[in-house]
Amino acid sequence: MSFITRINMSILAAVISATLLGTMIDSVRAADKISVAVIPIADCAPIYLGKAKSFFLNHGLDVDLSTAGGGAMIIPGVLSGQVQMGFSNVTSLLIAQDKGLRFIGLAPGAASSGVRGQDFSAIIAPDDSPISSAKDFENKTIAVNTLNNIGDISIRAGVRAAGGDPAKVKFIEVPFPDVPPAISDHRLEAAWVVEPFLTIALSRGAKVVNWNLIEVAPKMMIAVYFTSEKYAKENPDIVKRFKAALIESLVYADAHPDEIRAIIPTFTRISPEIAAKITLPKWPAELNRQSTQVIADLALKDGMINKKANISALLP
Amino acid sequence: MPAKPAHGRVHLGARSLAWLEGFGGLVGLALLLEMAPRAGLVSPHYLPPFSAMIVALFEEMKSAVFWIALGATMRAWAIGFIISVATGTVIGILIGSSNILRMLTRSTIEFLRPIPSVALIPLAVLLFGSQIESTLILVVYASFWQVLIQVLYGVQDVDPVARETALSYGLGPWAQIRYVTWPTTLPYLMTGVRLAAAVSLILAVTSEVAIGSQGLGKEISDTQAGGAVAIMYAYVIVAGIIGVILNLLARALERWVLAWHPSMRLHIVEAGE
Repeated sequence: MSFITRINMSILAAVISATLLGTMIDSVRAADKISVAVIPIADCAPIYLGKAKSFFLNHGLDVDLSTAGGGAMIIPGVLSGQVQMGFSNVTSLLIAQDKGLRFIGLAPGAASSGVRGQDFSAIIAPDDSPISSAKDFENKTIAVNTLNNIGDISIRAGVRAAGGDPAKVKFIEVPFPDVPPAISDHRLEAAWVVEPFLTIALSRGAKVVNWNLIEVAPKMMIAVYFTSEKYAKENPDIVKRFKAALIESLVYADAHPDEIRAIIPTFTRISPEIAAKITLPKWPAELNRQSTQVIADLALKDGMINKKANISALLP
Repeated sequence: MPAKPAHGRVHLGARSLAWLEGFGGLVGLALLLEMAPRAGLVSPHYLPPFSAMIVALFEEMKSAVFWIALGATMRAWAIGFIISVATGTVIGILIGSSNILRMLTRSTIEFLRPIPSVALIPLAVLLFGSQIESTLILVVYASFWQVLIQVLYGVQDVDPVARETALSYGLGPWAQIRYVTWPTTLPYLMTGVRLAAAVSLILAVTSEVAIGSQGLGKEISDTQAGGAVAIMYAYVIVAGIIGVILNLLARALERWVLAWHPSMRLHIVEAGE
């Protein structure tokens, strides 16, 4: 090998390594930082798994996940721009839209399985309760975590479907974690509960009376990831990449329940033993506009919203 | 004449007795918490025995999460407490020293003071989301009044003769504050400091529970949401222990700062007799 060739080779090597270094720096630089507010519940596991699997980094996104106690904290955060994206219950977004706030749903957050006996959400009653179907909810008081939301909407839908009068059902607000002890002590007649408290309650003297989400619509989409219309308009590229990475995460999550169960205890306080037992929600890749339309119609009928919801604006 | 025990020894004895009583109360509470679930009075699923809480606490103390949460709460407490004490003292002395200012602000203070700090949660969330600033708004709003009101009372308590004397000796406004107002106000201020130390902790933890800003309160709400009952109580116990420690520190500070004050000297004499 001549001296010249050797110099050429080393120049070539230098150029190649510089280029490689350059692309590496570029890809690090290109990673846009976004913060996403989620809730520490099993429903949000896919975004944690997707982050761990670098799905977001592969789309040039450096996602910072923070947890909030509930959607009531996340909606103002997205509105004011403290976080760019959030996880929210669909009904809360419909109510926000009705109040004139402009949000856009990007991808499903979680959905019902649509299969009775295998869903993450149910109305439960004490084992020995005379309540055995949604028809029996008439003249009873049922606990929901938040009044005027999907809890009471779905319970009324169940009563209607069973041929009862939904106006005869009374509701009180009880947070999910308080439901299992209240049911086993007979302090509540019936209550809406979701995982992990459904599994906990069923192991301690409760029975399922009604699979409430299935009463609303088949495979009802309960939550979505969303951003503000303003942010989506100003950052169409970031939103597009976030959506793509999120959908990858959802598809992966739905196909790998074991990995989901393993990641749940890392961002929630659900123990690995309980995480192994709970019924997971479904994570479809497609936004469910039909079920959202049904929720919007029921919300209008029940007076939670005042005008017809614009589903194509919320879920474009 | 019967021999009187030396002052110091009785003083120490009375104090250690008080300690023993306080400690005894805690042991009793721990025993009750241990026995109630074991005797089936409450479901151990939802109120685990005290020993289970302590085991959970030691487990939790091995994780970084615990120390980060503890650090976050103490940071919010310290910043909020210092802001409240500093602003409460300065504004209190300013308003208290001027009759006009006192009259002008009285109705405003009486209107703002009773507003519960937690009523500001929606505002704090809108402004700062679940960041430390939200916690600070609640902490400062609650603690500031504790200090301000005490300082206002303290400033008004200045002995008129002392004030007149200072005037006739030609003391300037600054010297008047330093030599007349300040010594009178200090015992009141220390009461405000003690109240603010406790109130700041209460509000720091409350806002972490309600808003979800980092800290012990967020761990309490997350463990509740995850059904991790024993760990949740472990965090509640930690919050309680911190409250006790802060109160002891505030009392020690009060004794140290006011060692010269007649009220403190009287205390020692009384204990000695």
